[in-house]
Amino acid sequence: MQRDQVFVELQAVFDQVFLEPVTVTPELSAAEVDEWTSLTHVALILGIEERFKIRFRLGEIEATQKLGDLADLIIRHLPTKG
Amino acid sequence: MTNVGRAPDNPLHSKLKSGDISFWDDLRSATDAAKTFSEILALSTLRRRALHLKLDRKPGTNPRPIKLALLGGYTPYPLTELVSHFLMTSRSPVDAQLHVGEFDNYAAEIMEPDGELAAFKPDVVIILPAVARCRYDGPLSDPQDAQRAQAAKTATDLLQLADLAHQKTGAPVLLANFPLPAGRDPGAFRVRSAGSDWTFRKLVNLQLGLEAPSHITLCDFEYLSARRGITESRDDRAWFQSKQFGSADFVADCAREIAHLTTARLRGPKKVVVLDLDNTLWGGVIGDDGVDGIVLGDVDATGQAYKAVQKLMLEFKARGLLLAVASKNDLDKAVEPFKTHPEMVLRVEDIVSFQANWGPKPDSLRTIAHELGLGLDSFVFIDDNPAEIEHVRQVLPEVDCILLDEDPARRVLQIQDSRLFDITSLTAEDAKRSEQYRVAAQRQSLQLETRTYDDYLISLTMSGEISPFNSVDIPRIAQLIARSNQFNLTTIRRQEPELIPLMNDASQLTFTVRLQDRFGDYGLIAIVIATIRGEELVVDTWLMSCRVLKRQVEEEVFNELLRLARGKGLARIRGVYIPTVKNGMVRDLYTTLGFALSLDEPERREFVLDTAAAKPFQTRIAIAHRESPPKEKPVAA
Repeated sequence: MQRDQVFVELQAVFDQVFLEPVTVTPELSAAEVDEWTSLTHVALILGIEERFKIRFRLGEIEATQKLGDLADLIIRHLPTKG
Repeated sequence: MTNVGRAPDNPLHSKLKSGDISFWDDLRSATDAAKTFSEILALSTLRRRALHLKLDRKPGTNPRPIKLALLGGYTPYPLTELVSHFLMTSRSPVDAQLHVGEFDNYAAEIMEPDGELAAFKPDVVIILPAVARCRYDGPLSDPQDAQRAQAAKTATDLLQLADLAHQKTGAPVLLANFPLPAGRDPGAFRVRSAGSDWTFRKLVNLQLGLEAPSHITLCDFEYLSARRGITESRDDRAWFQSKQFGSADFVADCAREIAHLTTARLRGPKKVVVLDLDNTLWGGVIGDDGVDGIVLGDVDATGQAYKAVQKLMLEFKARGLLLAVASKNDLDKAVEPFKTHPEMVLRVEDIVSFQANWGPKPDSLRTIAHELGLGLDSFVFIDDNPAEIEHVRQVLPEVDCILLDEDPARRVLQIQDSRLFDITSLTAEDAKRSEQYRVAAQRQSLQLETRTYDDYLISLTMSGEISPFNSVDIPRIAQLIARSNQFNLTTIRRQEPELIPLMNDASQLTFTVRLQDRFGDYGLIAIVIATIRGEELVVDTWLMSCRVLKRQVEEEVFNELLRLARGKGLARIRGVYIPTVKNGMVRDLYTTLGFALSLDEPERREFVLDTAAAKPFQTRIAIAHRESPPKEKPVAA
């Protein structure tokens, strides 16, 4: 999956979790979104895992700063082609 | 990989955008059908958007406000979000205002004087105790008494805490029990020690459930974890990362259950089950196929599935639900299986209102409601036909409907899973009755050693049914004749074509015996064919399933033979025994029943009973006789 496709999927997950529209960009971080609290964070991560059919290891998410880091992490978890 | 493409346009989104108030109905159906945490969470976000946009609801469907306090040993989010969603999308929508306790501070929050809990004045208090505190703290090898005592104390402490929450708030309490542990450790030994997590939790859960007073409802996390699967329900990462009590999907299961139990108190119980007939209580169409043609009963697999649905309905009746029929049929045809089909579990007297006509089903339901003087909101309508279900849903939205699965084998579980028939509480009378049972059970266990075989037979509460051969039973009769070897006096193997003429032959007296007891229904278990020859009734065939040996069926067959012989004014009954390799067990059957041996040859023994001198046996089986179905259908004038 291309990185920009990952952002398309991420947008869908964000739309499922947040009431107010949030546009996903590589620079986005939790601090910029009012609704992105420690609570909605749980829902966001579970939603991402289910959508991409992946599972993060304990601690991996904490190590990411911006949405771009998260996208890289997702790509690392996706099965590589043939 | 392409399987994570963009989701197709969701009709809920467009309804929300256009302000269509049927959004709420669709949201409810979608929520009922949703399986995963993420699906439900997405629906919950839509719900919040609709609230934010102040989307109207249909008149009379505005949610009732309710105040819920949720305390426990876990982080309450996202559980609270899901509970709120399930509450608002339930059949009786509820708008929850929440008071959420601090992580793992529930004991203090309940016990502190003048705390926030009481000040919040909740309508319902939900307590999710921490599983970490439901453990035996000593070695597995400790004496079992010590381990059991600690389990008992754990349960008692929790019930006291829940009771205190009730006293402080006046609110009913929902108390969660504990999911079962998934890890295999310590192996099979887990069941040998009350100190293992497995056994300890089960002990605590058992006591919580059995000893909770009526104002404490158990939220059965143990069942929910077993139903989803205990490894699927466990998620250590969710615990380490955000102090969740299980996997996201398991949390969603629990939220659904909490919401269900909360709203169950607001809904009235279901009182009436209205049943369709054709392809619901039996397979086939009675008007076309006739009593002989419908599929019902033990002779084939599909017939068993229909019978199982009928048995479930009879259980519902025993619980106090009323059974009614709404069928598009001629009344006389619809009622015939209830009267004459030997495999029918439900009888005419089980049905409080029988509506068989060609009018619309909603009219039949209204008639039933009128006859019974009960509101339609206490009705459940069960049908296999989607069009009928849709019709009732549209005309009578207050009726809950079950559209039966196309596969008859799935229907019992489908009905059991509908949650429409949950028992929410016991009435005072129920409670009294169960107390009497409990006392009786205690008495019985004390007397166990002094009980006689007769006591045992009485305790079985056996009932039997004797009926002449009829065409519906013929395949089963042929099957038993072909298979029975041990309890078979003559081992004459007749097949279906030879059996059918017996039914209309005045010189042949035939009957079958069915038996059931409190452990179950044994079905058709004995077959007799006897021939009138001069002054004698000659027992040509007598065979019985060995499952019911020594249950006094032998005596009841004897009684029936005597009754028939006397009815025909016959002087004697002649019993015949033809030995085979396998039927030695009945070699002396007739003599034990009081017959006199009259012929004793290696190939054949005969026994004679004088009908005038014989006395019927008293047995512990309550016998009913069923008439045979009409032999010929009346010809239309």
